[in-house]
Amino acid sequence: MPCQARLLETMDPLFVALNLFRRRKFEECVDVCTELLQKNPYDQSAWHLKMRALTEQVYVDEVEVDEEGIAEMMMDDNVIASVSRPGTSLKTPGTGQGAPSAGVRPMSQSGRPLSGFVRPGTQSGRPGTMEQAIRTPRTAHTARPVTSASGRFVRLGTASMLSTPDGPFINLARLNFAKYAAKPNLAKALFEYIFHHENDVRNALELASLATQACQFKDWWWKVQLGKCYYRLGLYRDAEKQFKSALVQQPMVDTYLYLCKVYVRLDQPLTAVEVFQQGLEKFPGETTLQTGIARVYEAMNDMSNAVKCYKDVLKHDSTHIEALACIASHHFYTDQPEIALRYYRRLLQMGVYSAELFNNLGLCCFYAQQYDMTLQSFERALSLSDNDLITADIWYNIGQVAMGIGDTGLAQQCFRLVLSANNDHAEGYNNLGVLELRKGHVDQARAFFQAAQGLAPHMFEAHYNFGALADQVGDLQSSYNAIKKSVEAYPDHADSKDLLMQLKKHFSVL
Amino acid sequence: MATEAEQNKMNDSLASDGNRGNSQGGSSKWLSAHFDPVASLYTFSSCMTFSDITGDGENRLVIADLGTGAHNMKLKIYKGTSLVNENTIIDLPTGVATFYMDTIEPRVPAVAVASGPYLYVYKNLRPYFKFTLPPLEVNPVEQDLWNQARDDKIDVTVLREMLDSIRREGTEGALTVRSLRFLMLPDRDQMEMFAQSYKHTPLKRQTVITCLATLKKSSAEDDAISCLVVGTECKEIYVLDPEAFTIQARMSVPSVPVFLRVTGLFDVEYRLVVSCRNGNIYTLKKGMKTGKLCVELTSQPVGVERIGKNIIAGCMDQTLQCYTIKGKKLWTVYLSDNIITMSVMDHKQKGFKAVMVALDNGDVQIYRDKYLIDTIKTDSAITGIQYGRFGREDCSLVLTTRKGGLLIKILKRNAVFEEKDFARGPPAAQNQRLNVPKKTKVFVDQTMRERENGVAMHRMFQHDLYRLRLNTAREYVKVLNSSMNPVSTNLAEPLKLSAQVQGIGPTFKMTVNLQNTSLSVPIMNTLISFLYDEKLYSLQKTMIPVPLLVPGLNYKFETLVECVNDKGISDVIKAFVVKEGATSPIITAVINMPVSETVVVA
Repeated sequence: MPCQARLLETMDPLFVALNLFRRRKFEECVDVCTELLQKNPYDQSAWHLKMRALTEQVYVDEVEVDEEGIAEMMMDDNVIASVSRPGTSLKTPGTGQGAPSAGVRPMSQSGRPLSGFVRPGTQSGRPGTMEQAIRTPRTAHTARPVTSASGRFVRLGTASMLSTPDGPFINLARLNFAKYAAKPNLAKALFEYIFHHENDVRNALELASLATQACQFKDWWWKVQLGKCYYRLGLYRDAEKQFKSALVQQPMVDTYLYLCKVYVRLDQPLTAVEVFQQGLEKFPGETTLQTGIARVYEAMNDMSNAVKCYKDVLKHDSTHIEALACIASHHFYTDQPEIALRYYRRLLQMGVYSAELFNNLGLCCFYAQQYDMTLQSFERALSLSDNDLITADIWYNIGQVAMGIGDTGLAQQCFRLVLSANNDHAEGYNNLGVLELRKGHVDQARAFFQAAQGLAPHMFEAHYNFGALADQVGDLQSSYNAIKKSVEAYPDHADSKDLLMQLKKHFSVL
Repeated sequence: MATEAEQNKMNDSLASDGNRGNSQGGSSKWLSAHFDPVASLYTFSSCMTFSDITGDGENRLVIADLGTGAHNMKLKIYKGTSLVNENTIIDLPTGVATFYMDTIEPRVPAVAVASGPYLYVYKNLRPYFKFTLPPLEVNPVEQDLWNQARDDKIDVTVLREMLDSIRREGTEGALTVRSLRFLMLPDRDQMEMFAQSYKHTPLKRQTVITCLATLKKSSAEDDAISCLVVGTECKEIYVLDPEAFTIQARMSVPSVPVFLRVTGLFDVEYRLVVSCRNGNIYTLKKGMKTGKLCVELTSQPVGVERIGKNIIAGCMDQTLQCYTIKGKKLWTVYLSDNIITMSVMDHKQKGFKAVMVALDNGDVQIYRDKYLIDTIKTDSAITGIQYGRFGREDCSLVLTTRKGGLLIKILKRNAVFEEKDFARGPPAAQNQRLNVPKKTKVFVDQTMRERENGVAMHRMFQHDLYRLRLNTAREYVKVLNSSMNPVSTNLAEPLKLSAQVQGIGPTFKMTVNLQNTSLSVPIMNTLISFLYDEKLYSLQKTMIPVPLLVPGLNYKFETLVECVNDKGISDVIKAFVVKEGATSPIITAVINMPVSETVVVA
């Protein structure tokens, strides 16, 4: 080590910094650059390198990270038709084909089936009211940000809010953008620094528009950056124009992805798929584009097409985790747990080693009648879990297994453990209610069902159970109200419809 | 050829399905003559009729409009598609009828509008006569009370109490309108004023017209003189002479009549079918004093029509039921939605009568006997429907929508109504294949494995199960000891706790819901306290005293939480419910706090 240190001292500091940068030791790189800049404040190469090092520290893939914020959703000024034709909108789910019904596959708050893979945007779709949006369990893991202009970008991406001891590296207010825009070698690094490190979209946009003028609108890169800025500012139509123009100059995978993001945000999923297809013509076998198509179909609840696309992805990249997970969950919910088991095993072979995976493996084993591996998987999942929400889900599934083998005592303990791990677990409340009802504790059961109803208004089971219970004890008014909510949440639920019809008959009879 | 016709029919019905939602679309048998979505009509089938009120051979549409439901009631006359005349009506109209009252040439029919206890008769679009229902006997005690009040022998409060006791003894109809209004007044001053201003006018008890119909007097021609038949709130039915407006016949029914259908001639033989508010249908013949029970319906009727010898009733339980005049049930049709109103379609050219039923989903279905022969789709529920001669067109259909629109349709000359029922044969769902997944090869392989190693697998599973039970029990005990559950397992204090956080920060509102889930045991002396990181949050109330908890009710406790850290970090806050003096909590809720957003935005 000392030998190496001496070596570094003898070398050219700029070369050392470059070397550190290449080895992704950004903090050390920044330190070396700072020293260089102290010696010579006008050293452009050091300045450039420091900007890049700072940017790299906080860089996030702009394509993936995108969560529609509450403000964007509730105050959407791009909505044209509030009632769109079935199959053309992401906002009216439940119109898909080939998807299992809500009775088989649980729904998320927005009415979409839970995806097999958690990523930003899986909780998309709009809640009915502002209150519902705010009330959804909002923890650091699951919350919707208030606007996408703040929220997750800040949390994941920027360092601007962490105060630096000796003031900011670059004072943006005193920067002459026109001067830097004319220097293409500096401008690009400066832009990325402003955009990613400072998270100052407005200044970034100013720089980008000056720079694209300076190069006579011939550089596609600036157009993409302009599009990114417009997208962040919510000017989707302007962003679309920039991306399209960039694509004419130079087709790039990234640009296609950005353009599709714009269309998804404009609620034009079919156009997005079309653009993905165009991209695939230029870049055959590009898995990110194929995954994009699959995600759009999944969001539209069109599971058969989504699975087809995920299978295409696997043809080109057989270790694609998202595709494997989504296909597996689809097979699980369409009554083929043995196939799902194969896919999950594949994930395990690939080195994915997480509580979620073992949880799914356990469940698949149980339903595919491979009993010897079921409980071991759950045990391993419990020992791997580092998160209360996951722990709650694992206990819930163990509770399901206990119900399956008829051990209601064990099931009851499991569901109690669910609630202690996650107080907002509506399914746990519901199942506890069912167990209490079996024991004949009507009042306890009612309290549990009410709690489940309040926590998850999108879940029809709690509404139905409460309605059936109220019907039995003769509280027809409450029963009717609950059943109506149940039918609203899941219009094809036969038992709810039967009970509703019975109640209606009862009310209209003389 | 027959098959081809069938094919076309299929296509037609499909096409009309496709047009749904388009108000101008619908059945191909009808021409859409006029659609005014903003006619601002609020009326029902009983308040609509067609009549040649000027005697020029062109029928006008007469509509008694209920205005806003409280004021602005109008009698509206439409000629073609334009409104030609409006007359103000003082009270809410309940029915409209047109009839010839004399033989003077040129023959011009009169329009009778039933409203409150009066019948207003219009001729040549001008008010002509007002008929008042005969007053009823006033309750002698009530009369006596008001007399005493007039002579200032009793106080208004005494008057009120006495009147209230009469009201409680009998039905509300036993009192006069004045007394009922008096009983509704909220305070003494108003009662005083009311009594002062009305006590000198004589007391009258009046009833209200509920339904109206016409009955030809001595000949069955179209322009023959007709009597008016009036049903009233006092359960009586009167037949009025058209010239002198004297009561020719007086009959009673056991309940308040709602729908009145009349056939026959007054001088020869006639029959009334009366549907009443108790859900029964009664029939009356000439000379009868009281109604004879014909049908006891299972549900309240929404409309009753008479076609030939049959009575067709549309009921609240979404059924259309047909009975003979003797009260024998013939058939029942189950409809897809609630009935709003119904009316008869008398197609004189083709010589048949059908029933038009307007449903809540905007459909108008036409039934000939029990067969559905046509469906008209509209985009709003129809509240008024009338078929007849309008203008010079014999087969016109006028519809008013719930949104106040007016639709006029004309039946195509070449329209053929098939006798056959569309909805025959097995339901469509029977032909659908169930999506049963195929058994995969993997499944078969796994079954083989199970068959070969069955014993080992079972042992393994049982072994795991014992271990799991033990582990679960350990965890459970741990949770019980630390009272980490939001639902109490202790039978002495059955409580349920749930908490919600609202707001986007830095100030949040935390709502703690507490419910006593026991049957009858109230819970006392409890407190709510919180455990949190003081570097991150500051709470407005760190301890909330809980009042006595009544079983079954949900109690809400609120406190403000302020996030004092600006780093965009979040933590959990634990809410405990503790018994006073005890060291361990009864129940605990763990609240995952959201990230404070405004700090981030700023």
